[in-house]
Amino acid sequence: MTQPIDTSIYAAVTAAIQGEAKRILSEGQVTAIVGYAAARRKGSAQPIVISQPDDAQKLIFTPACVNNLAVYLTKAKKEIPKTGKIGIVVKGCDLKALAGLMGESQLKRENLYLIGVPCAGVLGSTIQPDTELTSDSIAPKCTECNERMPPECDFVPAVQVPVNQGLEKKYAAEIARLEALTPQERWAYWKEQFSKCIKCYACRQVCPFCFCEQCLCDRNKPQMVETTPRPAGNFAWHIVRAMHLAGRCAGCAECERVCPMDIPLNLLNRKMAKELKELFEHEAGFEVQEKGPLNSFTDKDDQSFIK
Amino acid sequence: MHPEKPKHDFEPKIIAFVCTWCTYAGADLAGTSRMQYPPNVRVLKFPCTGRIDPVFILKAFQQGADGVLVSGCHPGDCHYIAGNFHARRRFAAFRKLLEFVGVDLNRLQFSWVSAAEGGKWVEVVTELTEKVRSMGPMVEFKELALEEQWSGAIDTPELKEAYEQI
Ligand code: SF4
Ligand code: SF4
Ligand code: FES
Repeated sequence: MTQPIDTSIYAAVTAAIQGEAKRILSEGQVTAIVGYAAARRKGSAQPIVISQPDDAQKLIFTPACVNNLAVYLTKAKKEIPKTGKIGIVVKGCDLKALAGLMGESQLKRENLYLIGVPCAGVLGSTIQPDTELTSDSIAPKCTECNERMPPECDFVPAVQVPVNQGLEKKYAAEIARLEALTPQERWAYWKEQFSKCIKCYACRQVCPFCFCEQCLCDRNKPQMVETTPRPAGNFAWHIVRAMHLAGRCAGCAECERVCPMDIPLNLLNRKMAKELKELFEHEAGFEVQEKGPLNSFTDKDDQSFIK
Repeated sequence: MHPEKPKHDFEPKIIAFVCTWCTYAGADLAGTSRMQYPPNVRVLKFPCTGRIDPVFILKAFQQGADGVLVSGCHPGDCHYIAGNFHARRRFAAFRKLLEFVGVDLNRLQFSWVSAAEGGKWVEVVTELTEKVRSMGPMVEFKELALEEQWSGAIDTPELKEAYEQI
């Protein structure tokens, strides 16, 4: 049954973000702010970087503010952090990505001014940006989100996030369904999904953690992963991608959102997150951790699978 | 004289990724001690299990391996101190990923074999070879490698129509 989702707080959130942005820009606390602004189509939103106090009124927060802006601080706009202290508008999931990037020494907390957003959820797809937010149109990641108030930000609008009563956890349900299948059925499922991939690498481009200057998957001496969009290379790409993000992925689901072929990428990410939690009690969170689960160890780690 | 070699219908191809300090030396010991083990295994040596990237395993399967063995020093014995501890975590995670995409984990074996354990090397290799032999060839990855995205066949109405308009 479709339930509406209360996003009435977003007006107050928008006003508060604008006020704060104007203040910190005019006081010179930050040199630029990365946030969201209305885009051309009705209801749509797009990332924006502002550096003038007068532009603060352009900032908004709506259910169409889907992007994880953390990516703008690692590669897309590498020059931004160099200009000085940067303000950034973050949802809870985006903040986890920032925490991860700080743990990997890509960013420094003291160079950021975090404007946290109390978030009731965003749209799963912005193809129709003017869609109302409901239990159907909400992004699957939001059905599993437990951090609607980003903690330890420099500024968070003082509004109360309405609780969403019992949304069905979409990834958990799908993972359970796949786990119950036989290996052959699972292989068939992923083979079909992966063979859709056109190797546009949009998923890699949008991921805040895919910041390597040269991706293993682009190298050709030796070539580890076939680059043509054929089933074999696709399979390898997806396994390598999932593996390289295991223990790092913040769960922002940007990869899945941008995939033009609708491949459920975040399903693999969630599955790995679940396994790493079971194996090593690791979870992506807001705490800056110096070492992730796959670059640390204990001498008591499970080795029941090793002879 | 060598003992009579049994003939099999299917000889699996096993790729072993081993660390040079322990398992490779262990395999060497098995050889110099003239122990017999299935010749199905192709040994690739690495400085340490910490250098064995999961993508190597993937590549091995894609290139036609029916089974893969990864083996190195026992925990605490790694010559780079912690390489095998890191590898242990990485492969624990990688196994879960492979399992989730539908790969039969019986084809993938991990072991600790020290330089003194020639006997254990023989045991591990024999067991994996026999297990994989009974499972038959690993067809999934080979099929993938043979498959083209588009075969060149004009086999759907849309393609036919588009073709005729050229
Ligand atoms: S892998 Fe996907 S969900 Fe995870 S951090 Fe990258 S873009 Fe976000
Ligand atoms: S965005 Fe989708 S189609 Fe593009 S490379 Fe990633 S998985 Fe493949
Ligand atoms: S040197 Fe053998 S596992 Fe590291």
